[in-house]
Amino acid sequence: MENVGGRSKKILLGIFVKLKKFFSSLFKVFFGNKLSGMGTSILVFFILLGIIGPYIFPYSTSISMEDQLLAPSFIHPFGTDLWGRDIFRQIVAGTSDVLSIAFLAAIFSVVLALVLGMFSGIVGGFFDKFIMFVTNVFLTIPSLPVFLILAAIFTVDNAVTFAIILSIFSWAGMCRSIRAQIISLKERDFIQICKVMKMSKGHIIFKELLPNVGSYILINFIIVMKNAITGSVGLMLLGVASFEPTNWGAILTSAKNNGALINPHSYMWLFAPILCIAIFQLGVIILSKGLDDTLNPRLRVM
Amino acid sequence: MRNIVELRNITIDYNLKKYSLRAVSNVSLQIKKGLITALVGESGSGKSTLATSLLEVISTPGAIDSGEILYFGNNDLKDIRKMSENELTAFRWSEISMVFQGAQSALNPIMTIYDQFEETYLVHNRHMKKKEAIKLAKQKSIELLKFVNLDPDRILQMYPHELSGGMKQRAMIAFSLLLNPKLIILDEPTTALDVIVQGYIFKILKKINVDMGISMLLLTHDIGVVAEFADYVAVMYGGKLMEYGTTHEVFKDRMHPYSSGLIDSTPSLLLDIDAMKPIKGSPPDIRNLPEGCVFHPRCDFCMEKCKTIEPKDYLQNDHMVKCHLLEDVWTQ
Amino acid sequence: MEKVRHFAKKVWMFLYQFRYFFAKLGISILTLCAVVILSFVLIVNMPGTVIDSFAMQLSIQRRIPLEQAMILAKQMLNYDPDSSLFSRFVVYLQQLLHGNLGISIKNNAKSVNIILKELLPRTLFVSSISLAISFFLGTFLGSRTTWKRNSVGSKILDGYIVTSNAIPDYIFALIIITVFAFNLGWFPNQGAYDAMILPGFNLPFILSLFFYATLPIMAYVFSQLSFWSMQMQGSALGVLGEDYINAAKARGIPKRIIVRKYLKRNAMLPLVTQLAISFGVMFGGAPLMESIFNYPGIGQAFSQAIVERDYYVVQGILLFVSVIVIGVNLFADTIYSFIDPRIRRSS
Repeated sequence: MENVGGRSKKILLGIFVKLKKFFSSLFKVFFGNKLSGMGTSILVFFILLGIIGPYIFPYSTSISMEDQLLAPSFIHPFGTDLWGRDIFRQIVAGTSDVLSIAFLAAIFSVVLALVLGMFSGIVGGFFDKFIMFVTNVFLTIPSLPVFLILAAIFTVDNAVTFAIILSIFSWAGMCRSIRAQIISLKERDFIQICKVMKMSKGHIIFKELLPNVGSYILINFIIVMKNAITGSVGLMLLGVASFEPTNWGAILTSAKNNGALINPHSYMWLFAPILCIAIFQLGVIILSKGLDDTLNPRLRVM
Repeated sequence: MRNIVELRNITIDYNLKKYSLRAVSNVSLQIKKGLITALVGESGSGKSTLATSLLEVISTPGAIDSGEILYFGNNDLKDIRKMSENELTAFRWSEISMVFQGAQSALNPIMTIYDQFEETYLVHNRHMKKKEAIKLAKQKSIELLKFVNLDPDRILQMYPHELSGGMKQRAMIAFSLLLNPKLIILDEPTTALDVIVQGYIFKILKKINVDMGISMLLLTHDIGVVAEFADYVAVMYGGKLMEYGTTHEVFKDRMHPYSSGLIDSTPSLLLDIDAMKPIKGSPPDIRNLPEGCVFHPRCDFCMEKCKTIEPKDYLQNDHMVKCHLLEDVWTQ
Repeated sequence: MEKVRHFAKKVWMFLYQFRYFFAKLGISILTLCAVVILSFVLIVNMPGTVIDSFAMQLSIQRRIPLEQAMILAKQMLNYDPDSSLFSRFVVYLQQLLHGNLGISIKNNAKSVNIILKELLPRTLFVSSISLAISFFLGTFLGSRTTWKRNSVGSKILDGYIVTSNAIPDYIFALIIITVFAFNLGWFPNQGAYDAMILPGFNLPFILSLFFYATLPIMAYVFSQLSFWSMQMQGSALGVLGEDYINAAKARGIPKRIIVRKYLKRNAMLPLVTQLAISFGVMFGGAPLMESIFNYPGIGQAFSQAIVERDYYVVQGILLFVSVIVIGVNLFADTIYSFIDPRIRRSS
């Protein structure tokens, strides 16, 4: 009786220790150096803004024409738009939409790239050649025109559709890279040793190959997020996708289409989403550079 | 015997972002005029770094921390470290030239052999009329290539990747003679070449030394080469100079345990294979050099004081040995 | 019999030498096929209402009865929903091979070919100039800052690169058109040239072309300059690590010659294939950029056609641009093996 209790305690303790180790290494990766620390902070700020922001600064779509195009003030930090609605609160409300599109697009791209890249690298043969041809097509043809066509055919009315379209071009480069890494890893000694020791294929894939491409995937995940935001705002500006009016890109488009370029009173309307987009992208860039420094140590000169 | 170059208390560090590596530590070395001096040491002993410092072309982020490099080539005394950038550019190749290790990548891959010869010649002869200089450059290039037994008509038009290893090395030797230098540094000129080509190249080098009176600094880890070609030998270990003297003395007297060990670890044609005795242990980690005498962990004669106190340089005539064994025997 | 064999062997050797080229050619053709199929899918998905409204338009314009207009419309568009998908595809291919890209439904049945002919030069004008400026200036800055790592210049360049990565090119375009065109009024906010000037090889027209292209070029250069600087820095960094740089220094070759002949030239070589890819990227960005500047090139025509659901214009421009991009890529791939002496002369 005692033994059973003692054993389950040990198992729990083991799990606890493993979790602790996992989280502390995760912390080291994201906050390891100045750059990644700053980048992570910016991203976390926006994530929090997206989740709890709308509760602190709720946004109502009610129009009040007497408040239109007000200058920035304490009540309206970013002023108001053409219909008297607070821009700051719009941005807060749209944060979650922006983030979810970016996140979803990144997940789709990475999963697709990982699965196809790994299969391509491991299986080889005709399958491999075919996948490589497909990636070649996606890498050659300019993406925006095809985005436009797809967005026009499949009306974009939710974040998932949007994310799928945005990820169609992002997976190709990653897939090639992962395949190349898998192929070079396949030939390395430690994989051969695993084969000789008759370790199961699953073990080889998950315990040996994956961790090696892990850092590449992490860095590219956030880069795809950045590209997805750039692409989504671009598509919104062209008027082929805009289902969530508080999305920063939608605010930007609305501003542009309602004379913000000409009317100095609306400059804030135009500028606020640009600022947020720029800061977020900056955060991603800094984070990716920081992660690169941590995960790919190179002999640093001077 | 006059010196052509004197290095005095040279210390060279590689300054990386987080720490510094001391590649060369307080080395004083003379290179005798008209003779071949060999600089021996394992990889990482600092010999390449020391050699490139003579031309102030140490690969970044290496930099000379302290010391003097005195050059006596032109009946006057010049400190190479004190030269201005312009003086250095003129000095390089015309007074001291160098044959790099693995000439594979010492040449610009997108220029023909001739273009590179001509470029170097013109850069150093700007006072001449261009047409005149080009003519002389061509003449000299052809002459030098013939000297190393290469066919100028073929070789000059080629790109570096089109030459074999041995051909490239000979071309680099010819290149090093372009401006009639007084000293040529050869960094492991025959590593990666087979023994027959090696012998051939050393024949050419000996001819250059004897016929033209050009001094040579030969970097190598091959003891056999040293025994056959060098007049003087300097032995480096862990960035420090362990022994210096004539080849005859160093080989015969066996004063320093490390040099002795190097000689013993070379297989002999005459003796049994069992007579070959490698030095125990492995080369030091430059980031974590042993205290006291750098060689003490691997030394068969290690004493207590070797572990904490660095040995002084003990001198007798022209023979220098850095070892505690000579404490009461030789002068400091 | 012997002669035939000998000849066949010679042909085989010829093909074998250029096997890489033929492989790339094959892939290019297959890629093109994929694009053609995509365009066809697009056409096939055109809802029937489009035909109806086009027919109505024709009937009004040409004063013919609706039924006749319907027949005419179907004929002009090679649209026959009753025949099988396969035969429609064959007809479609036939049209393409004749160089017929279709007609614009919203634009008075204007031939897409003619639209392309009119608008392509303007897009090419802006694209080529932007690419040239970004490439040469970018490689110059990139090689210079790699040589002198800690100078003021390289810090400024780094700051600029981060900024231009955070701000997408079209947002920068929005900013400059707001500031310089709408606010300060220094530059025009639409068009490719002054409508008052007669087009031709006269100086006022050419100056006007440049004047109207200034803002778009500025916007392109802003984002591309950082791309080329970074590419060059990456390539140059690799070259710097090579022994021949140090060896050149040992030969007393002055710094500026090393930077020019040893660093820059060697680092530029791998960038040539990138040049081709950039060309494609610029065509890709054109729809958005030209819309913002109201610059009448094929990009703007494309995005307008998307919004207006002018299907044939869309697929026509897509096909045309794809052909150019695929062709340029093939060209760059092939030419690289000629300019790098290491590949050229390997026997």
